This record gives sequence, structure tokens and C-alpha cells, in this order.
Amino acid sequence: MKEEFKTCDVLVVGGGVAGMMAAIRAAEGGAKVIVAEKANTIRSGSAMMGVDHFRSYIPEYHGDFSEFKKALGKGQDAASFATKSTEYLKTVFENSALLVKKWEEWGIPIKYHGKYHFAGHTFPGDDPKMGGWLKISGMNIKPVLTEQSLNRSVEIVNRVMVFDLLKNKDNKVVGAMALHTRENIMVIFEANAVILSTGCVTGLYPNPTRAGYFNTCYPFLHSGDGRIMAYRAGAELADLELTRRHAGPKYLIKAGQASWVGVLRDREGNTVGPFLDKPDARYGDMTVEVNKEIFEEYRNQGKGPIYMDMSGITDKDYEEMLHYLSNQSGTAFLEHFKQTGVNLRNAAVEFTTFEHAVSNGIQFNHRGETGVNGLYAAGDESRGGLGLAATIGWKTGEHVAESVRSISSPGISGAESLIDDSIRLVKDIRTREVGACWQEAYAVLQQITNDYCGSVRSQSILEAGLDFLEKMKIRTRDTLKANDAHELMYCMQALNLMDLAELLFVAALDRKETRALHKRPDYPLTNPLLTGKKHIIKQKNGTPVTEWRNV
Amino acid sequence: MPPVINTKLCDGCTGREYQICVEHCPFDVFKSTEIGKPPLIARPNECWYENACVMDCPKRAINLRIPLPMHIVVK
Repeated sequence: MKEEFKTCDVLVVGGGVAGMMAAIRAAEGGAKVIVAEKANTIRSGSAMMGVDHFRSYIPEYHGDFSEFKKALGKGQDAASFATKSTEYLKTVFENSALLVKKWEEWGIPIKYHGKYHFAGHTFPGDDPKMGGWLKISGMNIKPVLTEQSLNRSVEIVNRVMVFDLLKNKDNKVVGAMALHTRENIMVIFEANAVILSTGCVTGLYPNPTRAGYFNTCYPFLHSGDGRIMAYRAGAELADLELTRRHAGPKYLIKAGQASWVGVLRDREGNTVGPFLDKPDARYGDMTVEVNKEIFEEYRNQGKGPIYMDMSGITDKDYEEMLHYLSNQSGTAFLEHFKQTGVNLRNAAVEFTTFEHAVSNGIQFNHRGETGVNGLYAAGDESRGGLGLAATIGWKTGEHVAESVRSISSPGISGAESLIDDSIRLVKDIRTREVGACWQEAYAVLQQITNDYCGSVRSQSILEAGLDFLEKMKIRTRDTLKANDAHELMYCMQALNLMDLAELLFVAALDRKETRALHKRPDYPLTNPLLTGKKHIIKQKNGTPVTEWRNV
Repeated sequence: MPPVINTKLCDGCTGREYQICVEHCPFDVFKSTEIGKPPLIARPNECWYENACVMDCPKRAINLRIPLPMHIVVK
């Protein structure tokens, strides 16, 4: 394995929307910035093929902020918004209009038929504008942000997987270790500051297609590496056990249910929810957002399946739905319907509840600070979606550029033993003659999370699962075998996911209540005393400890 | 085999610096050959069906074949 060294002021780990916005702004602030990206920033991150909304507050459309603020926190983001500080949300919505206009200047189409268009995620009776769901034609967000980064001399290093951070003897984060995903090269990055923006976590739970396909809600490359790296470096994670489930078409799994303009109906055509009796693009059927498990519940009660039924849609709404499905990574859906002779205009598409996913994560503030010297985070390192990723990424880049301005390079002295250990681990995985492939590691992990920390969690089940997970983690580490750099990437992802799964179990054991999808038959009540509190997990002397903290 | 390259339409990105599908595919499903020749589909099972190759191919020479267990259930 060849080694390469690279030095910069700011290392951005993960070139999705948050990472690219941070990189662009930090470079504008005069910092030498490197983006380390596992794929290619042109098509990577959750926005790789588009996102169709930018959560934003545009003063000339919304008027007074206090009125706008009242309307936030309904629908699917209610829970995640409740855990964000006032300062955080203020930063997001004070900057969203500026960034929307910047994106427009950079060539991302925002307006629909000549004006800003707010739609979806809205209960009938409410004003769609006030939820702030600005629809955008976001298919080419990533090529545009890549171009803007390069224009500002950001160095983009594609096809490298950062798998761990480096700290010096003063406990400051001073860089990161990465593996090239196509060649046998380890890259050591030395940086004054590291911004983690690796996105959401995929692969911790099994997907519904059991035959080994990448059929996941978010891109399969998103393995939550940022969360576990931050934890190892001393940062705090929160509410991992409050897992989230998306819903959408069965069996081609993708996020983006709100781009569908239909009404949820059972097989006989009865409406499932109370909100709509005909498709309406202004709102979308909010039944899904009230309960994304409704598809699974109906099935288990013998009442399923439930369909997203487009019949009765107007010409105008149909045109709008096709436009935004295309911009929400949905072109594969549309081509599939064409190939199979389905006319979506009158179709009823079966919906299902997807796998559990860890969506909460690193604790960072409105400037990306994590509390660990030299370490910042942004975007879906703690779920927020596109608008929050763009704005907090931007402000983090701005703040980090200012912070590193006066610092000379700290060097990586103190991190040598960690580098040596990693080189040994990688060498073992690459040179073993007989061993387990990465798919085995994912399979064992997913069966443990699903069976012991899935839809039913109790003390005895969680303890048994954690015990087995710890054993299997060691066996996996000692057995994994990669035939090339590509397989090595997935091996490292699996090991990082196993470490994260361990924290998930510890946190789930300690949350002795039932809340949303965290179902504890041994503690069936939701404890009101824990409402408005975050469940923190962090490292103390090498072991995870938990505590409760007010938001 | 999820991405299917129409070799009659694919020009192997003649005249370009790199083969676009090979570099844009987030999952490294393709393997580069030489410029001017169609790339190989090295890891068909690692396709995520986001359609990057299909949409970004300048010759529109790629289609996805959605595997049977991922076909969408329509009433």
C-alpha cells in the first residue's frame, strides 16, 4: 500500500451539499480547502441526482419571520426541528434567501413558471408557502456546486474514503486517514480543521430486497462514517436510537415520497387518511407524514396494501408531479413505468414503509462547532435536509476559514500509532488468503440490528443483541478479506457501521421509554419528562456513556 | 445487468478527457476501457438506480434494466 500526504487549512470530508457549500465559503474566506469525496462530487451525496425542495424563508414572500416560524415544525420534520436550537434555526432561515438567490445565479433553476413555488408537506387548510418548502429544479445541484468549488480553487479529491480522524498530542483534530477506492493508496490528510459532512447512514438495517441489491432509501455509500469518527475523536452524538423510517414505492426504494401527488387509498379505493379525497399538488397526502409506518401497520392488520393513487389528478398537477419527480432523483422511476407500460396519470402505486435508519447524530451548532478542537460538522451528520445542509454548511465554511486564518499547521505528531494500527488493519484485510467478503459483514450486522434493535426493543433482547454484536465485531475485523481497493472501502464501511451499531444498542438500552419508532414493550409509556431533552452518547475512557440534556 | 450500453450509440466518449459514465457513477459500476471504446460493466449488482449514467451520457446510449425483484407494484 502506497502512502500519500496532503496538507490544507480545511479538510471537508464528504462532498455533498453541506460539504460543497462549506468548501466554497471557506475558500472565499481565503482558506486552502480540500474536499475528500468517496464518489465524484459531480454525482454524490443525497442530492446526487437532485432534490426538489430547499427549505427556506424568503422575506418578500413570507413577510414577518415570527409568523413563518409558527408554521415550522409540522409534518415530517417536526421531531428533528424540535431538537435544533433557536440560534440554529435562525441561522438557517436568515441565510436561506441569500443562498437560494446565489444558487439561481449559479445556474440551478429555482422558479417554476417564472416564480418561487412552495408546495407539498402541507396540511390542507394551511398555506403551502408558510412551511417554507420551496420547490426547486435540483437535478444538477451537484455539477453546479462542483463547478463553483473549482472556480474558487478548492481541491477536490474524488474516490477516497476517509475512515478515521487524526488527533495530535494536544487532543486537537489535525487531519484524517483515507483509502483510495480504486488504487492501493492510503492518503494522510493534514489539516488545521476538519469539517465532517458525510451525510445520513445507510446499511445499518436490511433493505427489503433480500437478494443483495443496493435497494436503499439513501445512497448505499452513505455509511455514517462521520458519526463514528466524530465519536472516536471525542464529540457528542445524540438520539441515535430515535431511528427514522421513510416510505415510498414498493419495491424500488428511494427517498422523496413528497414528490408524489396522489391520495393514499386501500385496494377497494377507500381513502386511508382524512386529509384529501383527490390529488392536490399544493399539499400532498400528509397521512404519510403523520405515520410512515401506516403501510406496514395496515399489512399486519390484514387491511393492506395501500396505494399512492394518482387517479383524478389535474393536468396541471400531473405536469408538476412529473417535473419534480424528475428533479428528486426519480428519472429511473419514470423510465421504469414507461418500460412496463404504466400510465402514471391513472396509476395506483403501492407504497411501503422502508427500513429503519439512524438519522440523528453529531451535535454541532449553527457554526458547525462540535466541541472538539479542530472538528466541525454540517449537513445530515444530524438530519436536517437540503435547506439546512446548504445554510449551515455555508456558515460553517465561513466560520472555519476565520478560525484557521491565524493558525500555523499543527502537524500530525501524536497520531503516528493510530496511523500504524490502521496500516496494519488494512494490510491484514488485503492480504488474508481466506476470509469473509464485505457482504458477509453487512449481512451479519443487519441481521443483528434488525432482530435485536429493530421494531421491538426490550432490555433482554437489546442486551443479547449487543453481546452478540460485540463478538461478531471482533470476528469480522479478524476475518474480513478484500480483493481490491473497492472491496476494501466496503470492508472499512462495515467496520465503521458496526462501531456505530454498538452505540445504537447502548443508547437504546438507556432510553427506558417508548417514543416514536423506539418501541420498548418493557417501557410502553412515553415519558413526558424526557420530551425536550437530548440523549447524548459520548466516549469516556474508551467506553460509551450517556446523559440527558435540555435542547 | 442493470446498466445496458447500446454499443451502436456509445462512442466511448471519443474526444473527451474521460468516459463520463465511468467517472460519474457514484458506485463504480463501470470499469474504464480506453477512450473510444464502450466501458465494461464490472459490478452490475452495485447499481443504485439513481440514473446518473443514463442522464449524463452525451449519446444517450445507456438504459437501466431494473432487476425483477425491484419492479414497482402497481394496482
